[in-house]
Amino acid sequence: MSIDWITVAAQIANFLVLVWLLKRFLYRPILDGIDARERQITERMQEAGRIRAEAEAAEAEHQFEIARLKAGREGVLAEARKEAEQERDQILSTAREQTAREHAAREEARTDEARRFAADLELRGASALVALLRKALGDLSGETLEDRIVARAAERLPGMAADLADAAGESRKAIVTTQARLPDDLQARLKRDIRDAMPDINVQFRTDPDQSPGLGLRVGGAQLGWTADAYVNGLQDILEGARHERGQSDAA
Amino acid sequence: MELTPDDTILFSIAGFGLNATIVFTWIVMALLTGASILITRNLRPDVPPDRWRTTLETIVLTIQGQINEISARPDRRLLYFSGTLFLFIIVSNLLAIVPGWHAPTASLSTTAGLALAVLVAVPLFGIGSRGLGGYLRSYIEPNIVMLPFNIIGEASRGVSLAIRLYGNVMSGAVIAAILLSVAPFFFPVVMDMLGMLTGVIQAYIFAILATVYISSATATPEPQSGPAEQTAKEQT
Repeated sequence: MSIDWITVAAQIANFLVLVWLLKRFLYRPILDGIDARERQITERMQEAGRIRAEAEAAEAEHQFEIARLKAGREGVLAEARKEAEQERDQILSTAREQTAREHAAREEARTDEARRFAADLELRGASALVALLRKALGDLSGETLEDRIVARAAERLPGMAADLADAAGESRKAIVTTQARLPDDLQARLKRDIRDAMPDINVQFRTDPDQSPGLGLRVGGAQLGWTADAYVNGLQDILEGARHERGQSDAA
Repeated sequence: MELTPDDTILFSIAGFGLNATIVFTWIVMALLTGASILITRNLRPDVPPDRWRTTLETIVLTIQGQINEISARPDRRLLYFSGTLFLFIIVSNLLAIVPGWHAPTASLSTTAGLALAVLVAVPLFGIGSRGLGGYLRSYIEPNIVMLPFNIIGEASRGVSLAIRLYGNVMSGAVIAAILLSVAPFFFPVVMDMLGMLTGVIQAYIFAILATVYISSATATPEPQSGPAEQTAKEQT
């Protein structure tokens, strides 16, 4: 077991050279490569973290947007529902109003028709009644209706003279209206009877086609009438009752 | 039978005889350097490492990990030194299975040279880390009486390193050679395997011990707290 000191020196030199060689060709490249890769990994991790943070932020933003849209959608839906309900109510209200109007119009039309019918019936009834009276009077007593009316007015006038004079006041004019022109003899007779009841009164005769058959007397503010109106009204009441019964049976 | 490769002169250049120790050391150096150059010639961080580069990285990182566990102050220079020691010794020892191979570590000159290198590296690293005054003060700690013992201990470290490595490697080689001459086949193979195991262990032990010595020289001793300080600590 001997030591060759030259070999020792050479081995020390060899070892130091090997340290330098390995430092140059092994350790530094390997460690620098590892460091570079770690740096790259760190950068990538940081980038990934940044991207992840951005993604999370974007996700949060999207979630917020979704929530906002959902809330908005709920609001819009509620608004639309409310508007639809309002529109429905309005449509229903309009429909009800229209129905009511149509119903009212139908009722009015029916009423008008009934009124027209009644008026026509009344007219026809009145005409028929008057014609019947005329015929009855002519056949049974040999008098005309106008003769009887004038006679009746002449009978009533003396009893009402005072009231008529009060009602006439300052007016000295009496107007007699009939549906058709009275014959001259009846006019003269009626004029005489009126003047008997109220002297100094000016009597005028007028015709009114719309007036009921009979005779009307107006002195100042007072007005008397001997017309077929009362009878016709009675007939009208009978007809109204009949129409009412018919309406009830239609509704049922 | 030659007990040391120093006695085997392979070449003679200008009257200077190159013995097997130096030649096989150069072969180990060439193998280590050539492999390193081949593997690390196209290192790029964007290229994924192949299996050879991964193997080298694993070896280097394992050595660095061991150093980091031992040393209080991990230093790349310590990696260069201790790592080279380990790689040189282990490659020299493992190539012993190649017929005709003379392990340079079976030479006491090699192991003495390596031990001397460690012996010189210890104060150099210590001075580099703690400064000259700090390093020299470590010889008179805990008091001046310990100075000769510290010097003897420092010297004995180098001797023990050299003798330990040389003895183990050389004995393995000698036993293998003896068995090869007396037994036909089986025992030398077993002994070669045992020698390889011993070589790996010795490479590890040598490198670790060198690292431990250097680390102990670079470590700054913690100031001992006096009684007053201890009392103050207890109060807090």
